[in-house]
Amino acid sequence: MIVAARLLRDRRRSTLWWVGGLLGLVGFTVALYPSIKGQASFDQVIADLPEGFKTLIGYEQGVPLTSPPGYLHARLFASLAPLVVLVFGIGAGAQAIGGSEDAGTLEPLLANPVTRRRVAAERYLAVVALLLVLVAVFTGALVAFGAPFGVLDGVALTGLLGACAGVFGIALLHASIAFAVGAATGRRGPAVAVATAIAVGGYLVQSLLSLTDALAPLRALTPWHWYLDRNMLADGPAVAAIVLPLVVSVPVVLAGWVAFRRRDLR
Amino acid sequence: MPSERVIRTQGLTKHFGSVRALEDLDLAVEQGEVFGYLGPNGAGKTTTIRLLLDFIRPTRGRAEVLGGSGADPRVRARVGYLPAELSIDPRYTTSDLLDFYGRLRGGHDPGWVAELLDRFDLDPGRPVGELSTGNRRKVGIVQAVAHRPELLLLDEPSSGLDPLLQHQFQLLVRELVADGATVFLSSHVLPEVEVLARRVAILRAGRLVTVAGVDELRRQARQRIDLHLAGPADPAAFLGVPGVVEVRAGDGTLQLVVEGSADQVVKAAARLEVLRVVTHDTNLEDVFLRYYQGEPA
Repeated sequence: MIVAARLLRDRRRSTLWWVGGLLGLVGFTVALYPSIKGQASFDQVIADLPEGFKTLIGYEQGVPLTSPPGYLHARLFASLAPLVVLVFGIGAGAQAIGGSEDAGTLEPLLANPVTRRRVAAERYLAVVALLLVLVAVFTGALVAFGAPFGVLDGVALTGLLGACAGVFGIALLHASIAFAVGAATGRRGPAVAVATAIAVGGYLVQSLLSLTDALAPLRALTPWHWYLDRNMLADGPAVAAIVLPLVVSVPVVLAGWVAFRRRDLR
Repeated sequence: MPSERVIRTQGLTKHFGSVRALEDLDLAVEQGEVFGYLGPNGAGKTTTIRLLLDFIRPTRGRAEVLGGSGADPRVRARVGYLPAELSIDPRYTTSDLLDFYGRLRGGHDPGWVAELLDRFDLDPGRPVGELSTGNRRKVGIVQAVAHRPELLLLDEPSSGLDPLLQHQFQLLVRELVADGATVFLSSHVLPEVEVLARRVAILRAGRLVTVAGVDELRRQARQRIDLHLAGPADPAAFLGVPGVVEVRAGDGTLQLVVEGSADQVVKAAARLEVLRVVTHDTNLEDVFLRYYQGEPA
């Protein structure tokens, strides 16, 4: 695991910044909860909003925004938390092969006694490990900071862990896409572009197509639907949110891996 | 023991789309020799090296390195590669890089690495991004030889090195060769190759033009000699002198292009009052010229 260890070491510093950002995000979000908690009028306002807008802000029928699961879902799990981890994952996935080939550092590495197969596999595993670290930090911070502000009251541990696993899943899938495109093309740009387009497109399909729309079945195809379909904090873990991204990631990464082994380096 | 072929290519061909980067290359490099690989920029030299290392895959033909394939890690463990432009993560220090590569190669000899750093006067603790071009070049050389490879693939090795370092580098290469290493030395300038190599291949537009001994090439090489004269510059004085292929007169000077030995030219010049002689380095382009224009002698 020499190649993977080196990648983790190379990203040590930047990962610390991301960890710091996540800690800040979690701390800030949970600290605001006490000021929202008592505002029943808040739920009233939301109730009057159009349906599409409600999905957009992460509101779910029957889970008031002033309750801990409603609040955490809207403020973190349906918005910034997956976004931050996903952006990090796309960056790391695109960098792993595509970025290093762009920078010209991949070829000298491959002049050493390592196969392309090994370099790609180890670097992908390193990206997965980085995502795990980030999500673990996020989960730990939520548990540690959340309790004193009462934001975990009535949230089952399984629901919380399920939601965090969902964050990992959606980030992993997009990181895998970025990795695969980077590995297949040897470029960072297309890797970031394709993964971002899929993330943004999926999010728009999930949040803007209302249930009555003729295209609504398309929603089931987006990772965001798997992830957001249910408020896991309130209703417990959704298997689709955790399993489907892993299932889809496997062929995506394999395709990138095979393409990388077969093609010319740039 | 018959000398082993360290590099052998058969009909090695690489096209990039419509660009024919390399066409039907047949090459054999023997164990223990320094083999020069000459050609102008874009002739296909780097393409050849990248094919040998399996960075790119041949359109046709095959390449054998150390009896195996460049794709095989066991083969690459015995190869040292100095790319024309070595890209290193600018945050790495020299020791980061050597440490990383060393572990991939199953360990460097620390005494040898220390000696190399000392010989090339490198501070292993400085980030590569802060180093000058020349120093980065040195890092490239050190990483290429740190595992005492049996085969060195050098792509334009002395570009960016000052004369003192070029000398250091040549000493190092000679040492490694004395220890049995084989060197494949690619360059677009003859002087870089002729001090080290005994055999040279010349590549032109993706095709192998010739493989010849350096001495033979040097004999064939054309040189330009400018004679600044006290009297009138009369080209007739050199017409018909053996070796002279071209004479041009202008403003008290005669510009001669000489092929092979300059002996007869010097003798012919002795009859004139020569103020100054300017010679131009044997230019590889001129050597090529011979091969471009038609029949090599």
